[in-house]
Amino acid sequence: MIDVDLTSMIDVVFQLIIFFMFTSQFGELRRTEIDLPHQPGDQIEARQEPAMIIDLTNEGAYLVESIETTLSEIERLARSGVLGQNPQDPFDVLIRPDRNASAVHLDRLLMKLANTGVQRWKLATVNPGGGQ
Amino acid sequence: MSRTGSKSKRRSARLGALPLTSMIDVVFLLLIFFLVTANFAQDEHKLPATVQTEGGGVRSSDLQPQVIQIKMQGDQPIFVMGEVAVGDRASLESVLKNLPKDPGVAIKSDPEVPISAIALALQAARNAGFDKRSYVPSDGQ
Repeated sequence: MIDVDLTSMIDVVFQLIIFFMFTSQFGELRRTEIDLPHQPGDQIEARQEPAMIIDLTNEGAYLVESIETTLSEIERLARSGVLGQNPQDPFDVLIRPDRNASAVHLDRLLMKLANTGVQRWKLATVNPGGGQ
Repeated sequence: MSRTGSKSKRRSARLGALPLTSMIDVVFLLLIFFLVTANFAQDEHKLPATVQTEGGGVRSSDLQPQVIQIKMQGDQPIFVMGEVAVGDRASLESVLKNLPKDPGVAIKSDPEVPISAIALALQAARNAGFDKRSYVPSDGQ
């Protein structure tokens, strides 16, 4: 009868689990740290991931995938997203703003997005209190 | 006496045979596993809305009865709906609850208003039962 060394086997299995967990969580870890508005948000929100995530810093800089991006580049990206959308799943944008940033920066961004045909957007919030 | 002594010797011999290096290895792996799976980041929520431009077929006057205009009064934002001006979410919600829900609500803000005030208005509209919530960005430079 073959004597299987269980300790080494568990060791290798855990290594594999940790590897796969790290690689699958990588997308989440790339989020920029931003002081989001404190609101409970929509409790019955769709689980569907937004097609595009734009971070808006307190200084008015726009970040896509944590890289500072100009409004014209965002407009180009959104336009190609809108052109490629299917009717069942319209292109939507998640905006993660710093809560102290001025509305003027959000307005400029939304004007550009509206020009490309984006109609739906979501504002990211956090609920530090946990209540409604 | 001699029997007890031989028993304890046998036990320590068995304990000594435990592969401690591998055991510590597995314990550390378990520790790393739980650290990786623990979620330290705050859960993010979303407030859905649509975007409307005033040049896009909807004039400000069309929306007038159901427009929340956010302005600054000193360093505090205020929410103006026609003749009514309120300063907090609870008051805004109670004003919005008395309005018809079908036409939806539009939110406009002055350029210097912090985005937290826009989030507050969207949240109040959502809590008051408005499914159609739109934000009208100002095109003023």
